[in-house]
Amino acid sequence: MKRIPSRWIAAASALVALGMVYGARRPRYGGELRVEMRAALRTLDPADSDPSTMGARAQLIPAVFETLVRFDEHGDPQACLATSWSHDAGRKRWVFTARANVLLHNGTPWSPKGGVIELADDRPIAAILRELSQPANAIVVRAEDGTLLGTGPFRIARWEAEKSARLAAHNGYWAGRPFLDAVEIRMGRPLRDQEMDLESGKTDVAEILVTDGRRLRQKGVGIASTPFTETLALVFENPRVPDATREALALSIDRATINNVLLQKQGEPSAALLPRWLSGYSFLFPTVRNIARAKQLAASAAPLAFAYDKQDAILRPIGERIAVNASEAGITLKTSNGPADVRLLSLPITSRDSWTSLEGLAAMLKLGLPRTGSEFEAESALLNGYRVIPLVHLPRMWATSGAVINWPRLADVWLDVLDPKGKP
Amino acid sequence: MTFRTKLLLLTSLTVTGAVALVTGAVAVSTRRAFERIDVARREALLEQFRRELDARGQELSRRVEQIASSAAVEQISSGTAEYDRAQQEAQAQSLDFLDVLQPDLTIISSAHWPARFGYKNDWNIAPEDWQSPKSFLARIPMPEGSAVAVVSVRSSPGGKALVAGGRKLNPELLKSLGIAPGMRALLWRAPDDLIDAQGVVQDAAKLGPLIAKVKASGQESTATVRWGAPRSSSEAFLGIPLSERGQLMGVLLAGTSLREEMDLENAILWIGLLVGGSGIAIGILLGWWTTQRVTHPVEQLAAGARSVAAGDWSARVEVASHDEIGELAQAFNQMTQHLVEQRDRAIQAERVAAWRELARRLAHELKNPLFPLQITIENLQRARERSAAEFDEVFREGTTALLAELSNLKTIVGRFSDFAKMPAPQFEQVEVNELVRRTLKLYDARLRAEGRAPISLRLELADGELPVAADSDQLRRALSNLVLNAMDAMPDGGTLRVATAKIEDDIRISVADTGQGLTLEECGRLFTPYYTTKHHGTGLGLAIVQSVVSDHHGKISVVSEPGHGSTFMIELPLKQGGSV
Repeated sequence: MKRIPSRWIAAASALVALGMVYGARRPRYGGELRVEMRAALRTLDPADSDPSTMGARAQLIPAVFETLVRFDEHGDPQACLATSWSHDAGRKRWVFTARANVLLHNGTPWSPKGGVIELADDRPIAAILRELSQPANAIVVRAEDGTLLGTGPFRIARWEAEKSARLAAHNGYWAGRPFLDAVEIRMGRPLRDQEMDLESGKTDVAEILVTDGRRLRQKGVGIASTPFTETLALVFENPRVPDATREALALSIDRATINNVLLQKQGEPSAALLPRWLSGYSFLFPTVRNIARAKQLAASAAPLAFAYDKQDAILRPIGERIAVNASEAGITLKTSNGPADVRLLSLPITSRDSWTSLEGLAAMLKLGLPRTGSEFEAESALLNGYRVIPLVHLPRMWATSGAVINWPRLADVWLDVLDPKGKP
Repeated sequence: MTFRTKLLLLTSLTVTGAVALVTGAVAVSTRRAFERIDVARREALLEQFRRELDARGQELSRRVEQIASSAAVEQISSGTAEYDRAQQEAQAQSLDFLDVLQPDLTIISSAHWPARFGYKNDWNIAPEDWQSPKSFLARIPMPEGSAVAVVSVRSSPGGKALVAGGRKLNPELLKSLGIAPGMRALLWRAPDDLIDAQGVVQDAAKLGPLIAKVKASGQESTATVRWGAPRSSSEAFLGIPLSERGQLMGVLLAGTSLREEMDLENAILWIGLLVGGSGIAIGILLGWWTTQRVTHPVEQLAAGARSVAAGDWSARVEVASHDEIGELAQAFNQMTQHLVEQRDRAIQAERVAAWRELARRLAHELKNPLFPLQITIENLQRARERSAAEFDEVFREGTTALLAELSNLKTIVGRFSDFAKMPAPQFEQVEVNELVRRTLKLYDARLRAEGRAPISLRLELADGELPVAADSDQLRRALSNLVLNAMDAMPDGGTLRVATAKIEDDIRISVADTGQGLTLEECGRLFTPYYTTKHHGTGLGLAIVQSVVSDHHGKISVVSEPGHGSTFMIELPLKQGGSV
């Protein structure tokens, strides 16, 4: 028998191993993904604008409802339900060509009259596209039984307001059926319960604090996160607080220590509203602490009523640290459970477009946003006067079971291991 | 105030005073006893508090030592632990405060204030305390103010880290003191909160002044706090400063309920009132019984004396005892008996004297006419022996003289007869001034008669009318007697003053002369019948005046002094109304 050279055996083994790895990472269809979340959503209607559930809604709505256009991770507009758009000579009328062969969740085709959608709008096309990409402008059809029908990869199979929901795969999805058969969602679950459910195998995805990421990663738990999509900021609610006091408070805060110690370096210290990945200029807003200057400005400053969510494991230590920093500058922050002069908030960034995000933040903060100039100028105008003091940008973070791949984009998620019954 | 009232008052006051004195003495003694007990209890409480503090300090030191030598502090000091890792260690050792520090006192991890990492520890611990193995009191800054705690500090093995741990002075500390019933301990903790064994004391305002006083002086101080309306809600507090190196950390308030003391004082007071009331009641009864025994004989004596004063000299009082009161009653009876006997003897002597005077007067009056009668009859006898002519002449002259003397005798007898049968007055309304004027008019001529020393008349009549119910003839006769007596008393002339006056409900008629006056003895006997100071008087004039005045329900008196004349005064009751 001809002896097989060992190098061939080695090469064959390598190929087999490579094939196994490739096979293991290849997307699989089927399976049900179990997700838990703190938010308790009343509805998934894109027209709803509950700010407290904005983060969860921003994740789920695109899986069910689609807009004419959307922005990719680089902030560039991409075609979605509209495949192209053109304008008239005066750039006051725009015509969006509807994508063909798009089916609603009940199987009926989505076919705008004439296959186009006309808009009379004299704004620049960039602004129009930003607005069209907003979830509130998603295509939603209300069926006769009141069911909301969209065109996204998943349809609403069951909806129990503020309790649970089930999303089933939309087999007629124009971009191809999603990998998952269904997504089972439990709402209103505290973080500790989510983590226990994850450990006991009752859920596949659990929200976690950014400060728990390192600990869970050390335990071998899979961690998924978004780019920085939250901005922690101090927002002055009392307009009578003197400018000097606001500036003194801004100069007294030690952002680096907050990020390094309290947030375990999971955030991005910043004096800008938008994170660097989104705007690209956030480093232009200085984060240097100047306690001497702060003391000068805060001389004889009156105590300020300071509020933050004491139940929030992220906001509470940061609020306490801010109070300590402010005290060093001579500013007394008295914790308040009611009306406050200044409040520590987590501001969600819901768009991959900087202008859209700025508009959303300005609306949330009830501040006027200049419509002219660059994003930098607009954000500078928002931050001028220290009515808002950005502190740090944070990502959203989840712990996942080992089977979950490509979380948090639901349309792309698939389960790596399936049991004989089709369960991961 | 009667003797009985005085006696009752005295008895009541004596009983009340005695009971009050005893009650007060008992109350004061009780209060002092309670105060001594309170002082002892408070000292015991303070001693117990210090022992408990020491014990807790030792236990704390042991726990801090365990933390300092633990792997956790090694991890914290090496930067491999989370910033709030001290919380786990503090919780494991039941510490309220825990700071893990770098040797330069920079906080690496803080249990009670995690956000203070990177800052210097500012528990105001003196440098020597960091080397002290003992525990001590310190004021620990907190996010909301500060808190007082027992603190112990230790160094990790190798000296890479310092560990400062503390436990609050909390209600558990006070609960563990084993306080005696009726007492309680409160603790004021700087800067401003007050706890007891149950927790934070809400109604602390009333203790504010005591705490402020202890804070200001740094010395022990006491105060009594009344929590509600009843006195028994009062509580006595002793404030004891808890200081550490001159800095006041707290004030231990040892409170003692005054309920028992107040209840006992109230009981004593009520018993005192009860005993006092009973004593007063018994005193009143005893006093009444005593006064009955004492004052009744006295009242009888007083009544007897009033009877005697009213003329009833036969009054007697009952001798009911053999004590001083009985002797007094017996002496009273003897006195009245002696008075009656003396009066009888005086009356008898007076009668004898009057009869003697009457006899003397009669003899004197009758002797004067009898002697001429005897002479005349003897002349007639001698003339009978002589010639008839001479006898006739003597006879005529003799019978004339006899008749004259017999007439004189008849007059004398008539006057005596008149006095003996003074008629009862016939009352009518008489105007005194008018009666005086008419009476004096009869004597105008005699007052101005030639051959006698002149007597001037001074008439001083009261204004207005002075009506009296009187027999005008008898009253005029009495007034005439007084006027004649006055004229007789002024043989060498003088002034006759007659006056009328209204004195309250009486009318006074005064007849005064400027004669030689009367001695005191003469004044005493002036109104005795048949007594006279004149050689030719019968001694019936003033007796008649007195009889008239007496029949008119009046009285007569005389004021005289030898050499300064005499004044007779008649007082008659003023006629009231119009009836007679």
